Amino acid sequence: MRNFLMSVKVSPVIGVALGALLLSASTVGVGQAEDLPEGFAKGELAPAPPAEMIESGKRVYFTKCVWCHGVDGAGDGPGADRLWPRPRNFNQGTFKIRHTASGELPLFNYNEKTPDSGKNDLFDTVTHGLPGSAMPPWEGILTEEQRIQVLSYVTTQLVKDRKFTDKQSETQTVLQLATIKPAEATEDSIKKGAQLIVDKKCIECHGVEGRGDGNAFNLKDDWGFSIQPANWHKCWNFRGSRQDPYNVRNIFRTFSTGVNGTPMPSFADSTSIEDRWNIANFVNSLCERDEEGKPLGIDPLTDKPKINFVVPSTAVEGEISNDPENEMWKKQPRRYVAMGGQITHKPRNFVNRIDDIWVKSLYNEKSVVYLIQWDDRTKSIAEGKLPWAPTQVNVENFGVKEQAPKTGEEGSIAAAQNNYAVYNDAIAFQFPIKWQEIPAPFKPRYLWGDAKFNADILKWEADGSLRSFKGTGWDQDFEERDDFEEKVKLLKSEWKNGQWTVMISRPLKGDKDDYDEYTRFDIGKYIPMVFFAWDGHNGDAGRKMAVSAFYYTILQPPIPQEVYIYPAVIAVGVVFLEGWMLTRRANKKKGKVL
Amino acid sequence: MKALMSVGALIGVLGLLMLIGMIFGVVPSNTVRLVEGYMPMQVLSELAVFVAGFTGLSYLASSMGMTIPRFWQGVLFWAFVQTYLKFRIYPPIPFSVRAMYGVVSFVAVFMWVSANEEDWKKFRQPILNVLDANTGFHKALRTMYLILLPILIGGFSFLTMKPSVDEPIELRTVHPAPPASTKVHGKTYTLQTSQNPYRVNLEGKYDQAYSNKLIVEQGMGRLMAPNANPWDEKAEGYLKYVREGGEIFFQNCHFCHGDNLNGRGLHAFAFNPIPANFTDPGTIAQLQETFIFWRVAKGGIGLPNEGFPWASVMPPWEQHLTTDEIWKVILFEYWHTGYYPRTWD
Repeated sequence: MRNFLMSVKVSPVIGVALGALLLSASTVGVGQAEDLPEGFAKGELAPAPPAEMIESGKRVYFTKCVWCHGVDGAGDGPGADRLWPRPRNFNQGTFKIRHTASGELPLFNYNEKTPDSGKNDLFDTVTHGLPGSAMPPWEGILTEEQRIQVLSYVTTQLVKDRKFTDKQSETQTVLQLATIKPAEATEDSIKKGAQLIVDKKCIECHGVEGRGDGNAFNLKDDWGFSIQPANWHKCWNFRGSRQDPYNVRNIFRTFSTGVNGTPMPSFADSTSIEDRWNIANFVNSLCERDEEGKPLGIDPLTDKPKINFVVPSTAVEGEISNDPENEMWKKQPRRYVAMGGQITHKPRNFVNRIDDIWVKSLYNEKSVVYLIQWDDRTKSIAEGKLPWAPTQVNVENFGVKEQAPKTGEEGSIAAAQNNYAVYNDAIAFQFPIKWQEIPAPFKPRYLWGDAKFNADILKWEADGSLRSFKGTGWDQDFEERDDFEEKVKLLKSEWKNGQWTVMISRPLKGDKDDYDEYTRFDIGKYIPMVFFAWDGHNGDAGRKMAVSAFYYTILQPPIPQEVYIYPAVIAVGVVFLEGWMLTRRANKKKGKVL
Repeated sequence: MKALMSVGALIGVLGLLMLIGMIFGVVPSNTVRLVEGYMPMQVLSELAVFVAGFTGLSYLASSMGMTIPRFWQGVLFWAFVQTYLKFRIYPPIPFSVRAMYGVVSFVAVFMWVSANEEDWKKFRQPILNVLDANTGFHKALRTMYLILLPILIGGFSFLTMKPSVDEPIELRTVHPAPPASTKVHGKTYTLQTSQNPYRVNLEGKYDQAYSNKLIVEQGMGRLMAPNANPWDEKAEGYLKYVREGGEIFFQNCHFCHGDNLNGRGLHAFAFNPIPANFTDPGTIAQLQETFIFWRVAKGGIGLPNEGFPWASVMPPWEQHLTTDEIWKVILFEYWHTGYYPRTWD
């Protein structure tokens, strides 16, 4: 595909020849409607937008879009080199989310302003944005009119190698999604889908469990930029989710039309509509859900799962199991912890490949255990010994550098991805030391504490080490605490099908009640907690990492007796009150005065 | 009068249908958007429309001989206010605050139904009917209340007493008091007297009136003024600096503050406090340019304690940008949002 596009760009002669070829192919297509893939119908090319609309669109473009997409729409604006995925290069007319057959231009009609009509792909893309990328939803920021205007400008002026109105070279074969009845997501349908994704070789790229870990390397888009297969467990990051991530229709559409410019083909020719629904239902069933199997609540302001900043730990009797499938762990609710790139201090991590982790916690009379699971397409263990000591945090001198702002395409993040030196995957969390003595709301700084309030940091690395550190500032090397390290335990660490499962146990307190060195856990108290994650294949090390906001962990006390007694007492009191009131009223009516 | 009331009733029914639709997810909750920064006004005017609608409704009902008893009017209106607060407002209001509104609206309804002796009588008649229970229906109702009330109150107190793990509420000052001066890259800037060296007219003189004419227009979309395109090859002076500032913004700041400067960047969802929304009239539009300079240069770690320096991921930009670059980014932020920096006089 890439070569094809390049040749069109370089050699107009070949372009014309190919155009003619396409034309002949399309006339054949019109003649035999039954040749169309199931569920598709021939469509008409939309009319060209009027000139004044294009002119108005230019004003929108140069206010809002040029910063990433560039003056000529080549996806090379000032912001481009630090983004991954890179902003779209409009010049070739290659667009991902469409209702049209693979390789065709997307639908764009300046007359069609109904959102999600299935008749105006580009309008819906601008309206809803592309979740999981830097493209935001423009609904509520630009008016419908302005969104149509800017698309008129982009499709006529910045798409340079193709023409939306050229009947000679372009066809529109449109997926009739509105009229296709979805198959219900029955157990049978999902089971069939699970088999189909093996038969259709979906798992080769998307992985056995659909975490996008299959062929996570070497995949490139039409422009030669590194690209990764979608993780089906995070449907809110699907580019085509249209801010409605659990809607199975979006998956059906993407599966039917493919994603232009990427290795994701259209499966419409080879897959019946029924099978496509089965696959879509299965993929949709993988997306993370709550304990009752219901879709997670999505925050409309961020289009990500809603966040609860409290990580509760529940008391259990006796030994805590190291098997996440054990009943005691299954009963415990998990928390979604959102992760952003560390972009405060150098080296900043503009592209963090770990954007969330799931946390559960249990405690007994001796220790508290954290079960942390997160998706990571690659298992990364550094080859040989790392050149820096585990306590060293300033590792810029060893080549861990942040992306330069202006590099040109060749040096951009999108080109450099998957070419980094491989370090260890890692996870860490911090608590304040002596939080009992820190007046609320003071905390040690989120980034490894500060000189005044130190942080108790526990860090696991994929080489199997679990270390305990004292943090005294973002640029201060850690202090290792060997005496405490003997007491912490790595109960489990496993990478399987694109997911890490790490279980870490630490004592509730030290030998004595002394807590000068490390955090003492008191039952029923909110203890601030921050999470850190490193993806070794992303070149993450030192401060180049993903980081969470402040969360709170709390050892939930067993429910005290009073909670059952007092409400009963209150209810009985109410009954007496009722009796008193009724008696009084009755007496009053009879004229008796007590 | 009747026509007017009919219109009111129509509005009331439409509004109610929409609200109910939103609660059950039939009507998309963004059908009527709450616009950021204008939400309090919008909520008040929506409530006013609803009140007008209800007046129309009750007028129509009584003119058709189906007068809604004053008691139920009061109860229904109070329930409506609670529903509205719970389901319409986003981000959701915590229960404690809603409880406060609940008490206030209860008092308001109480004052309304007890405005005069006659109204008060009308209002309490249904209550007395149930208490006295002279008919079979009222007797059944009374028995039901007698059983339900203790259960409800007992259950509610159980739920409140049960230890819950809600996030502790900590209040943070968003715009703390600035220092008198700040030292950046070895140079001391007095906040009262410093000026943005790039807010200049074509003669190179500081000129806010000149730059004010070239900022983007207010209103939906906030588009650049016609013939004031920073990307014009011939753009000079102020507009050229705006473009340079924008380049820096989109290489450094948009990750949190967003492509539209509304605080919805790529990483924003993970952070708490959430990144500032510059399009909100309560942020940079309320502040002096030098205040922004101090905040940008020193970042979260440079905040006084009431600003929670430990939680903010805002970088101290003096570690990443030159002083000139910081001034240019600030220039761009005001240009792109269409706000004027506040001046000291």
